[in-house]
Amino acid sequence: MAEPETQLLLGVGLIEKDTNGDALWVWCFPSTTTELRDLLLRKCCLTNENKLLHTFLFGQYKRTWFYITTMEVQDSPVLKKVTHFSIVLTAKDFNPEKYAAFTRILCRIYLKYGSPVKMMESYIAVLTKGICQSEENGSFLSKDFDARKAYLAGSIKDIVSQFGMEMVILYTALMLKKRIVVYHPRIEAIQEFTRTLPALVWHRQDWSILHSYVHLDDDELEALKTCPGYIAGFTDPEVSNRPDLYDVYVNLADSEITVSPLVKEPMTMGKLHKEIGQLIVQSAEDPDKSDSQVIKDISLKTKEILSTLASFTEASDDAAAEQMLKI
Amino acid sequence: MHWDWRVQKELKCLGSQLRLVPPPSLCRTQVALWDPPKEPRAMEEVDKILIHSLRLLGTEVPEEVQCVGDFSTELIVEAVVCCLRVIDPMLGIGLSPSLPPGMSARFRLGTRLAQACQVLGAPGDVGYQTFLYSTEPEIRRLLLFLVEKLPRDEAEDPGHPHGKSAVLLRALATCIQEQLETPWVPPACRSPWLQRLQGSNLQTPFQAQPLVLPQDKGSKERREYFQVLLPPVPQQLPPCPGPAPSLMEAHTAQLTAKLPSQDQTWGLGGNRLRQPVPAGGGMPPLRCRLLEQLRQACTPLGGRLPPAPGAPDLTRLLGSFGAGGGLGGPTLTKGSRFTRAQRLAHQQGPETLSEQMQVAAESLASSKTSEQEVQARQEEELGALWAELGQLEAEIAGLGGEVKTLELGLVQMETDASQRRQALGSREWSLRLKRRTVELLPDADSNLAKLQLVVESSAQRILALAGQWELHRRPLLDECRRLKGLRDTRQLESSRRLQDIKALHEWHRSAATEAQHKEELYQQLVLELEGLPRAVSRAAYTHRILEIVSNIRKQKEEIKRVLSDTRGLQKEINGLTGKLERTFAVTDELIFKDAKRDESVRKAYKYLAALHENCSQLIQTIEDAGSIHREIRDLEEQIESESGAKMPASLERILGDLRALRQENAGLAARTHEA
Repeated sequence: MAEPETQLLLGVGLIEKDTNGDALWVWCFPSTTTELRDLLLRKCCLTNENKLLHTFLFGQYKRTWFYITTMEVQDSPVLKKVTHFSIVLTAKDFNPEKYAAFTRILCRIYLKYGSPVKMMESYIAVLTKGICQSEENGSFLSKDFDARKAYLAGSIKDIVSQFGMEMVILYTALMLKKRIVVYHPRIEAIQEFTRTLPALVWHRQDWSILHSYVHLDDDELEALKTCPGYIAGFTDPEVSNRPDLYDVYVNLADSEITVSPLVKEPMTMGKLHKEIGQLIVQSAEDPDKSDSQVIKDISLKTKEILSTLASFTEASDDAAAEQMLKI
Repeated sequence: MHWDWRVQKELKCLGSQLRLVPPPSLCRTQVALWDPPKEPRAMEEVDKILIHSLRLLGTEVPEEVQCVGDFSTELIVEAVVCCLRVIDPMLGIGLSPSLPPGMSARFRLGTRLAQACQVLGAPGDVGYQTFLYSTEPEIRRLLLFLVEKLPRDEAEDPGHPHGKSAVLLRALATCIQEQLETPWVPPACRSPWLQRLQGSNLQTPFQAQPLVLPQDKGSKERREYFQVLLPPVPQQLPPCPGPAPSLMEAHTAQLTAKLPSQDQTWGLGGNRLRQPVPAGGGMPPLRCRLLEQLRQACTPLGGRLPPAPGAPDLTRLLGSFGAGGGLGGPTLTKGSRFTRAQRLAHQQGPETLSEQMQVAAESLASSKTSEQEVQARQEEELGALWAELGQLEAEIAGLGGEVKTLELGLVQMETDASQRRQALGSREWSLRLKRRTVELLPDADSNLAKLQLVVESSAQRILALAGQWELHRRPLLDECRRLKGLRDTRQLESSRRLQDIKALHEWHRSAATEAQHKEELYQQLVLELEGLPRAVSRAAYTHRILEIVSNIRKQKEEIKRVLSDTRGLQKEINGLTGKLERTFAVTDELIFKDAKRDESVRKAYKYLAALHENCSQLIQTIEDAGSIHREIRDLEEQIESESGAKMPASLERILGDLRALRQENAGLAARTHEA
């Protein structure tokens, strides 16, 4: 996982909201496409009508991860006509903590100097050396942020305590690479919840199935539909009326999980599911165990199942799991 | 009710003029400024208009009566009762316009009239004495009040209305009048205009329905049908047009069917058109011939070939062709209507249907055997086709399943391929990287340093470029924002202007409607003017009104002048009084100072005090005298007005009436005693 930064960082962009109330894409490096620019403008909270500010947002579009940090400008001598601005970072890897820290540093620099050139210096420094100095004390070192840490950052115990035995539905859906849609009016809640889910199938170490911030926009839905299985987060309640988008629908606000009638049959629960569910709940309820230990427990159980299956067949693990879980 | 509100207006005007009596505070000389000879003339005017309006109300005012002063008690009572009846019919109930002979009855009537007047809000003290022992000004005031109270709507001349609805009503009235005057004309003789006026419902179009009449010939079933099932003719028809046209048409059809020439024309061919077709009415000969030729061409064909199901269709087509000519346009000829009726009969009547079946059966009978063969062959073929179809369907289903599996495989392959392609791309990239690395490996340290240098320098270059770009970007961005701001303000302004324009439009519209209203009013007034009776000379009225107005203006000016005079005098008096007081104070002080030392001065001071006191007394007396003069003048005026009321005469009359009343009372008492 220790890829150099050059291979991970894709670009940086700047969106400003001025006193006229317009959100403008004012600067970027090295370049961007119109499609991605429109998408990022939509994602960044400055174009929102409700004017709700989100300091940090992240998501994925066609295997490009974006991280957006937004700041409000108050009485800055260098940014006179600007009320808010967002720094948009695009990268290939999933690591919200790392890029939150980095974009925050970039934001501070921009707020201080009002010029993207200074910001770019730091960006180039990180790109070439993997390190940059923060405006305050200390420095940003990209090595400090391991991808595994990012994978473990969510709290699985919290979501188990929220859903209890129903966790097994999510587990099964993930094992079978089904499509999961999560709805909550607050984007922060969705991001926190969805980023934890792929940990249930730790053996895959695949966070690319995560699309934590999706709009009901044609391009985005088209991109989403090309993925075989995914976890998608929506803040628009309208998504519940789009059964073509999901196999499992999670209403996070009401703690409800709905299984689409089309996948009722492969998602039929058996004795094995009960066993797994109990294991998850027991492990998560143990106060002595940390989140990573819970994930380890689940992972061990998964490996056990998979090895049992491997003895049956030489087929790929997912297909085998599907067969096994149907028992 | 021929009361005109114009008269009312003038009365009001005159009345207001009459009320302009000079205030009593003005001195005599100022009163003299009023134009005394004008006043009786104005009174005459008022009385004339009053009498005119009373006459309009139906009061019989004798010719010799010229002013209100000449009104007798009977006339007053009659006029008041008339007015009351017009103002409020409820109030007028039970009030007789003639004065009763009995004294007590007269008092009662007077009291009731007074009550009615008070209910209407008559000014001043109105009682029975107002009517029975009248004074001229009181009666004038009362009559003026009543005439002003006359309801305007009622007063309007019905022949010359003023409202929009009234104009409409008048138009209606004239229309009705006109219609009443036109004589009744029999329906057949009515011109289109008269049809509209007096109705055209008798001229309904000639609508006939096909009738089924019982016949003696034909098959047994048919006869049975005629005897048992066929409803009577009136029940065969819808109730709307009535049976007469249908019967007439059926009759005509029967007549024409009996004509031999028609039989010859239509007797050709054994098809269903053999039945009586009334072609004499209107089928154009060309179309007849055309039909005939078609039919001839069709019949031999039907004879030679086995009867295909198309043959009856052809005859039907012919029938419809014949009928289609009738549907050609709105100018329906009689014959075409007959044809259509017949077509309807073909489609609907069960009896004609059965007939058609018979005809078909006859034509089919000759080739019955061949048909059976054909049927058997067809069934065989059908069976074979069914079997083939089933086979094909099964095949399709099998292929569909195969396609599905293949599609699935394709999708899998595609995803696999794309994944592999991606993997390949990344591997190629890493390969290139590794190749370069291997190339650089021999001299690792120096190459690393070189590479770092390269990276460093390119980073610097990029930063420099970014700085340059920033130099361009910043002003452009600022310009963009400035322009956007400008646009926003412009939009704001334009929206504001738009609002202004809208408001203007609104105003414009309201002004237009107002103008329209004014126009309407003008039209109304013009109408009214036309409708006004020419008897009252308008010019004289105008002239008088103008005179009165000018008088009033003159009087106003006078009053203003007098008022300013009075104010000047008052000012002067005030100034003098102040001056006097100041002078006195100064003198008093001066002399008082010296009075302590000098005896003669003390005396002088005493004189001064006395002088001052006497003078102030004198002034007081003069003022008192002035007020007494004023009072005297008031009293004189009162006396004048009282003497105008013919006090002694009315006293005598009252005494006489009292005596009569007492006599009546005594008589009544005696009668009760007797009883």
